[in-house]
Amino acid sequence: MSTTQPPAAIRPYRLRKTLSSHALAVSCVKFSNDGSLFASASLDQTLIVYSTQTLAQISHLIGHSDGVSDLSWSSDSTYICSASDDRTLRIWLVRTGECVKVLRGHTDRVFCVNFNTQSNLLVSGGFDDTVRVWDVKTGKAVHVIRAHTMPVTSANFNRDGNLIVSGSHDGSCKVWDADTGAWVKTLIDVTVPGVSFAKFSPNGKFILVATLDDNLKLWNHAAGKSMRSYTGHTNRVYCITPTFSVSSDSEKLIVSGSEDKCVYLWNLQGKMLQKLEGHTDTVISVACHPTVNMIISAGLEKDKTVRVWVQQ
Amino acid sequence: MNAPIIDPLQGDFPEVIEEYLERGVMKCIAFNRRGNLLAAGCSDGSCVIWDFETRGIAKELKDKDCVAAITSVCWSKYGHRILVSAADKTLTLWDVVKGERIARIALQQAPLQARLHPGSSTPSLCLACPLSSAPMIVDLLTETITVLPVSLSDTGNDAAPPVRNKFSDGSAPYTPTAACFNKYGDLIYVGNSKGEILIINSISIEILGIVSVPGSAVIKNIVFNRSGRYLLTNSNDRTIRIYENLLPLKGGLAALGKANHESAEQDDDEKLKSAGSRSLALFQEFQDSITRVHWKAPCFSGDGEWVVGGSASKGEHKIYIWDRAGHLVKILEGPKEALIDLAWHPIKPVVVSVSLTGLVYIWAKDYTENWSAFAPDFKELEENEEYVEREDEFDLVPETEKVKDLGINEDEDIDILNTDGDSDFSDSDMSQGEIRFLPPDPCPDVPEMEDGLVVNTSKEGEISETESPLSEEAGQNGHLTNHESSPLEEDTGGMRLKRKRMPSEKFMDFETESIKKPPPKSKP
Repeated sequence: MSTTQPPAAIRPYRLRKTLSSHALAVSCVKFSNDGSLFASASLDQTLIVYSTQTLAQISHLIGHSDGVSDLSWSSDSTYICSASDDRTLRIWLVRTGECVKVLRGHTDRVFCVNFNTQSNLLVSGGFDDTVRVWDVKTGKAVHVIRAHTMPVTSANFNRDGNLIVSGSHDGSCKVWDADTGAWVKTLIDVTVPGVSFAKFSPNGKFILVATLDDNLKLWNHAAGKSMRSYTGHTNRVYCITPTFSVSSDSEKLIVSGSEDKCVYLWNLQGKMLQKLEGHTDTVISVACHPTVNMIISAGLEKDKTVRVWVQQ
Repeated sequence: MNAPIIDPLQGDFPEVIEEYLERGVMKCIAFNRRGNLLAAGCSDGSCVIWDFETRGIAKELKDKDCVAAITSVCWSKYGHRILVSAADKTLTLWDVVKGERIARIALQQAPLQARLHPGSSTPSLCLACPLSSAPMIVDLLTETITVLPVSLSDTGNDAAPPVRNKFSDGSAPYTPTAACFNKYGDLIYVGNSKGEILIINSISIEILGIVSVPGSAVIKNIVFNRSGRYLLTNSNDRTIRIYENLLPLKGGLAALGKANHESAEQDDDEKLKSAGSRSLALFQEFQDSITRVHWKAPCFSGDGEWVVGGSASKGEHKIYIWDRAGHLVKILEGPKEALIDLAWHPIKPVVVSVSLTGLVYIWAKDYTENWSAFAPDFKELEENEEYVEREDEFDLVPETEKVKDLGINEDEDIDILNTDGDSDFSDSDMSQGEIRFLPPDPCPDVPEMEDGLVVNTSKEGEISETESPLSEEAGQNGHLTNHESSPLEEDTGGMRLKRKRMPSEKFMDFETESIKKPPPKSKP
């Protein structure tokens, strides 16, 4: 319970490899649940799946007719779902690289997508201001929630799959009941700044919210109170996706990209531990391996690379 | 939940039919432990597992050997196995994840009900109750059958336990009996045709206690609630009785054995009766004294607070809900088809009933808008509260900062990984290997059919639209929905204005309250 923290005590990360496989800006990178694979999505309309072990490209998922903004792995790492500016979501079978299903319904670009833990439902948010819940098996939209008044930047299930948190440029962050699509709670409802990201913590008690005023906060959603604040990075324009690092062999971290081309690492209390430099443009997305201390990050247009960082 | 006056508006029980599931003719249902999967046995011998969240079919267990109607379905405790009993006198044990048959055994009579032993995660022992003879314990892997005694005279006072052998039949014909395991499977409670409950050691088959049910009528059903604290019997005298289980949940067998030993009675019969009175105490009786209806498939709610029973009268689909203290709180009426099976969801206030036509109806609470969700600091009040202002409330510069004490220690270390444990499930610590869900495989798209594929049945996956009242498009409060008029939208199919998944038109008449239906509003 002490408030004075000892100085940064993690082993620093260093760049292991730079993967330049995309032709345009990379929008998202994510590890699979077991960590053996990771995938990147890009504005060049394709997704690439890599092996974590060899860092080699395994498959190239082609099929979208416009840039891809987000991707999500199913729990057993069999399927990837991607959200694209062509207004559709596509479910891909990772093993073969073929597109198994196309989900249509959004009336404007789809910006974010996530599976629930059971992987029988998908939640997506888009520029049409709606949050949609889809049945994976049939591809039909189970709920269409008119969630916000401006583009939805982020939509995520909690671990149990009964709640959805959504954030939007309209400045609000709302929690919904996944079974009925009913509105449960509003976490923030100021109009500025916009909420660029919202996600539940692994145990569902906290929500990590990024706002477009260089702020990253951890909220206790039952109490509706912000518990911790993570600052030092720049986030004014892009929807940068931060993440939790919960690998078992070390301290829990919050990792985020930034518009100053660096990757920031904080411990849970809010102290910045390290700044990873190397990208040549905004770092839009970061992902942490579930068990090993490895971070991957993606850079925008002037960079176009996926960088892999490991500890010394 | 122990309010003396039950307000039906506050209670946590279902009210209206939310949806129905259709697939062949279903005969019996069972929820898995978490309530996210519903297994249904059909008249064609197959067992369908529904994903309760998406209301779609997750798996089908079927093989060509069994085509007779399924009479009962039972999950193993952690969801690995399903036991199915069929009208062709067989019991089949299935592996859920692989979808393969593990074992099948044929009995002398068709079992009406079969229950897997609740004590282990991969049980091979089960309890089977045929229509007209004594219940038996069947070991599906070794294929041994042990018949249970149904009355004291079966075993004699202290005779050796009955011989275990294959295909032995046992007691007198035409004695319908019901039986069930207690929570950990060490004791079996048998209800016989004389209106007695026999408590039997499930391993040694020794009768350890007897309880006489008042009325001495044939006991048709006997079932525990999920926590094992309460036992329910359904007798031919049209009464449902609730007994409280006085034995400790985990050491029930040992406690009963000890009670027997220490018992002062000399006569063995008396010993058993006194042991029985120390294990079960009559708590409450339910009956409908006006219509004197027989009950069918009674059971407890997931938390044991409510008891639900279906009316066995043909031609009506009525479900009665009582609280445990005996007050009738609700009668749910469905379409005019007889009810054949009933189950309450383990966690949610949802009831599932099977009708004679083979449809499975899902009853849930009527959706009400949660107005306190609109802003972060809105709070719901139970009743009007007088607001007392602070001294400096209207000062331009308040002296004291408004301090909201929410009882949260800000300096406490944040823990993002650990949960408090599932409060709903008392042995979640043992459930490491539990099958929590069956991951689905998306059905591959039929290629290149983008137009006119609108199949908007109420079977699987209907859409609901929820309006955010702060939306500028809506302009007014509450319950407005807008049309989606985009050509790319196959799913909304035009004019669907449902607030949540709802069954097709023919069920509108049968809901107990009318659902608020917003007027159509065209997009400007």
